[in-house]
Amino acid sequence: MDPADILALPRATLEAEYLEDVSLRRLVLEHYDQEQIPLRRYLAFLGLDDDTARELVQESFLKLHEHLLAGGDRRNLRAWLYRVAHNLARNAQSVAHVSKTDPLPDVLSSKAASIEDELLERERLERLRNALGQLSAAQRECLALRAQGFKYREIADVLNISVSTVGENIQRGLERLKELV
Amino acid sequence: MTKPDHLNNDLLIRAIDDELPESEMIRVELHLADCEQCRRAYNELRSLTLDLESFLATIPAQHSPAERAAFEARLEVPPLVPVPRVRQWQPVAWGLALAASLTFGVFVAPHVWRSSKSPAVRAPEAQSNAFEVAGELFSPLPYSNPDLPIGAPHIVRMQVPVSSLSDAGIVFEPVSNQTLTADSSVLADVLLGMDGQPLGVHVLGVE
Repeated sequence: MDPADILALPRATLEAEYLEDVSLRRLVLEHYDQEQIPLRRYLAFLGLDDDTARELVQESFLKLHEHLLAGGDRRNLRAWLYRVAHNLARNAQSVAHVSKTDPLPDVLSSKAASIEDELLERERLERLRNALGQLSAAQRECLALRAQGFKYREIADVLNISVSTVGENIQRGLERLKELV
Repeated sequence: MTKPDHLNNDLLIRAIDDELPESEMIRVELHLADCEQCRRAYNELRSLTLDLESFLATIPAQHSPAERAAFEARLEVPPLVPVPRVRQWQPVAWGLALAASLTFGVFVAPHVWRSSKSPAVRAPEAQSNAFEVAGELFSPLPYSNPDLPIGAPHIVRMQVPVSSLSDAGIVFEPVSNQTLTADSSVLADVLLGMDGQPLGVHVLGVE
């Protein structure tokens, strides 16, 4: 066998690995573009300040990259990402000794048709914000993930609780909000 | 419709969230079409759901292109040219070979060389992918990082074990009945890369 052939064999393998690395990196960046803003909002909703939320979101995506490089499961990467971010947030909060009744973030009013509509919208969101502060952390988390479009099974996966508990938290949370708003 | 027949909140919420089996969903839809009270409750819960989505969507989270670029930089960047992933023992073997050969060259070779006369083998032909450094042709070795520049080359002339060269795919053609054994050595110039690993070898032949 020609020596050049011997050297070419591992090179072909390496090129395949290289292309795989590039494709995984692209996959992570696609998820980053789609999810980093909603994920930061979710972490802010959990009570993290913007800088911490930003840092933890980046860390979550880096972990996603590691997960993919290690040949991890690629099914429902969105739920995987939220689970990692959620756990990182909880760890950060426990290290910082943040209380469970963190103030919810301020919100920007959406694009209303008139100043009057905008004021009404802002008032409505402010009432909702205060009402959310009256819920348990578990209820708030379930409702926040539901508002991000997750199914009950996925919420259970993210929060590591049962699907029936997710259903209960959502129902009780909404009933309480209905009373308060 | 009497009160016990009304839909409870759990059913209404699961209907909003599309979490009911199809048969159950049809039952809820049929009921809502006929029951004003349940329809009102459904609409209230639906409105609250939309408000929650709005609430999440209006939490400020600005993102700049610079931030994305910073994140991209934090991702492990694969090299433009793949780096050979060598088996762990290969560089070590080459390092040991270098050390042994230097010792051999300094202390033993001068005495042995004078008595060695007939060539046992012919040096291999230059490979098609050989490259030139300092006017000398080197066969590439897959141990050094090819991304590193070849500037300031460091060439060491030494006796290299044939077994190490065989591992790198460099084989010798016997020209007499005297064959090289695995522990034989040949004189070669070894080009060291910037990372200290052998980058190429130029077999000078067997004197």
